[in-house]
Amino acid sequence: MSTASTTENESNTQHQEKSNSEGRIFNQMTFLAMKHGAIDLGRGFPNFDGPEFVKEAAIQAIRDGKNQYARGCGVPDLNIAIAERFKKDTGLVVDPDEAVTVTTGCTEAITATILGLINPGDEVILFAPFFDHYNTALSKAGAKLKTITLHPPDFPVPIEELKCTISKNTRVILINTPHNPTGKMFTREELNSIASLCIENDVLVFSDEVYDKLALDMEHISIASLPGMFERTVTMNSLGKTFSLTGWKIGWAIAPPHLTWGLRRAHSLITCSTCIPLHWAAAAALRAPDSFFAELKRDYIAKRDILMKGLKEVGFKVFPPSGTFFVSVDHTPFGLENDIAFVDYLVKEVGVVAIPCSIFYMNPEDGKNLVRFAFCKDEETLRAAVERMKDKLRK
Amino acid sequence: MEGKLSHAAKKLTSSPIQELSHLAQRTNAINLAEGFPDFAAPPHIKNAAVSAIHSDFNQYRHVQGICDQLTKMVKEMHGLDIDPLMDIAICCGQTEAFAAAIFATIDPGDEVILFDPSYETYKGCVTMARGVPVYVPLDPPLWTLDPSKLLRSFTERTKAIVLNSPHNPTGKVFTKEELEIIAGVCCTRNYLAITDEVYEHMTFDNQKHISLVSFPGMQERTIITSSLSKTFSVTGWRVGWAIAPAILASAIRNIHVIITDSAPAPFQEAALTALRSPHQYFESLRRDYQSKRDYIIRLLGGVGFKIQFIPQGSFFLFAELPDSCHLSDVEFVKKLILEAGVVAVPGQGFFHTKLSSNEVSSVSCCYQKRYIRFAFCKSDATLAAVSERLGKLLDAAGHLALQ
Repeated sequence: MSTASTTENESNTQHQEKSNSEGRIFNQMTFLAMKHGAIDLGRGFPNFDGPEFVKEAAIQAIRDGKNQYARGCGVPDLNIAIAERFKKDTGLVVDPDEAVTVTTGCTEAITATILGLINPGDEVILFAPFFDHYNTALSKAGAKLKTITLHPPDFPVPIEELKCTISKNTRVILINTPHNPTGKMFTREELNSIASLCIENDVLVFSDEVYDKLALDMEHISIASLPGMFERTVTMNSLGKTFSLTGWKIGWAIAPPHLTWGLRRAHSLITCSTCIPLHWAAAAALRAPDSFFAELKRDYIAKRDILMKGLKEVGFKVFPPSGTFFVSVDHTPFGLENDIAFVDYLVKEVGVVAIPCSIFYMNPEDGKNLVRFAFCKDEETLRAAVERMKDKLRK
Repeated sequence: MEGKLSHAAKKLTSSPIQELSHLAQRTNAINLAEGFPDFAAPPHIKNAAVSAIHSDFNQYRHVQGICDQLTKMVKEMHGLDIDPLMDIAICCGQTEAFAAAIFATIDPGDEVILFDPSYETYKGCVTMARGVPVYVPLDPPLWTLDPSKLLRSFTERTKAIVLNSPHNPTGKVFTKEELEIIAGVCCTRNYLAITDEVYEHMTFDNQKHISLVSFPGMQERTIITSSLSKTFSVTGWRVGWAIAPAILASAIRNIHVIITDSAPAPFQEAALTALRSPHQYFESLRRDYQSKRDYIIRLLGGVGFKIQFIPQGSFFLFAELPDSCHLSDVEFVKKLILEAGVVAVPGQGFFHTKLSSNEVSSVSCCYQKRYIRFAFCKSDATLAAVSERLGKLLDAAGHLALQ
């Protein structure tokens, strides 16, 4: 290792130490992973890279000089590719210029949608556990949050509870399917129930579907495709998870023009534009043949099965995920006080990183029995992690 | 369903600059409106991006080396010591850095001073954070700062001053004396300063860019925002930063995590190469832009524009319509697109202060509708083509005949 890269590694490590004290638990867990030489099954990014044809398209775009500002809502060809993909997946025909907005990852799609369409005091219903970004962004917009908890082992949507919670005062229901951290996929029946309640009460839906191509056991359904729903739904997605390019930050929001207008205005102020050379690569990616997506699914099913089998053998209570690359498990057989204590023990004594699920609930107590493992890693890494846990985790 | 928009979104208007760009595209006009170059980005930087993609730097990433390099540059340019671990937030362009700075510091009702004319996005961000923009007009024709106007703008709700220097749209570089006044006010009244320094490496006639942060008492209260975009001709890459005291930088990073979470990974790597460019790169950048500035001044001055203020920085020229032209700036630009095939930006979109009736009678013809902003970040061939197109529309006196 050259001096330069040693210095860079040191300064990156120091940065990690400092960023411990702020921001998200994910940074902390990554830091601990590095510090203890632990296998990182925490944060959801792969330890393998994206497909060559997508990377080559990005390189070609840089060389072709596509390095300046372009249209803020997206390079036209990418908007077309997104619309084409959406039609293929849902049957819905949308205008690429009027209904599609390219954002800096799904992260920004969510934030721009929230800032553009939520007024302070608006009531928003969330299903817990939820990706911790949602409540942070919603709080920033001054929303009033109501959460409905999904319970193991299958995390079904409690429709009766939703009927009691939703009212004409509700502005938005935010759903995430396939679901992080549980891997649940909302069924057609559940989505139909949510849809009819939304129509009845004139409620919008913000639907985060970043894991739609990791629908492992059942068909992914976009709520926007249900009757009467497109006009009130913002469907959000990104390149990162599907194409193992989480650092590229190319995402999008698809919504009818009267909702797109609001989220585009927010987007134009908070970032204005996303990384243009990567737009061209994203268009190429989205036009990948069916075989690419079939193989992706096969790979992830294999990875899921390795990890799930391993976790069961180690002694966790495992809740099988139907989608995403996450699995949530009950750690209580190992006798630790809560999820934070468990992940701490796991990283320091066993050498594996998991994410404590209490961070995904409004009331941390509700999630203290659960931790989340990511299986977006190569098979060797997954097996090695299982071996470490078999070796060192004791009930 | 317009009722489903948030209050904040309803107040915003879409960018007039972007709309004109679309008209220019439709009519194939030469675009001197939007501020991006039509020449290639430097090869060494593009190669760095290509190399990063090949080397699999494609997952979530923070490149600490950018912070280390910025620390060196801040020391060299402004003589200040900053902490590369604590004082910097890498963001998706200066746009995000500025938005995050505003969200990190401005509460509903807080007043934020903006100098007029001003880049339209500042107001939008402040409004979105439910702050109140307060405008202090710079005085034409030299865009000087009148301290009495600045002092009159303060109330007990004033929280921050936004300073963009070198300045868009005028090309003004705030003088040392003006900066001293602003710094003095910030210190005595305990205001924050948020600067936009994207054109920091584009100053002309041996002018040095002086950052507000370098004045006594300012480091602890200033947030600098800047980016790669203009300096390295990569406006589409979206790598920028905010530099601020640790507490503010930390808050900005937390907001950045909400907005985007991460700047595009391979381009962070390329940013490191860019920021390590040798001094000669910055020297030749300055020289090239200065010669483009001189060219466009000769060209537009020659066809009758009134250019009383020579831009000292940025790549914009804010030229005044000739007295003989009775069109407004918008009418003129429309004609310019349709008859000359050249597009520029009508200046009125940059003005926000309403002149009192006294002022209107004492200044000639309401200057706010008399300026056109031309971007000269274009290749020599493009600028020559502009010259040729304008040449076809000259009258016997050699002036533009667009009445």
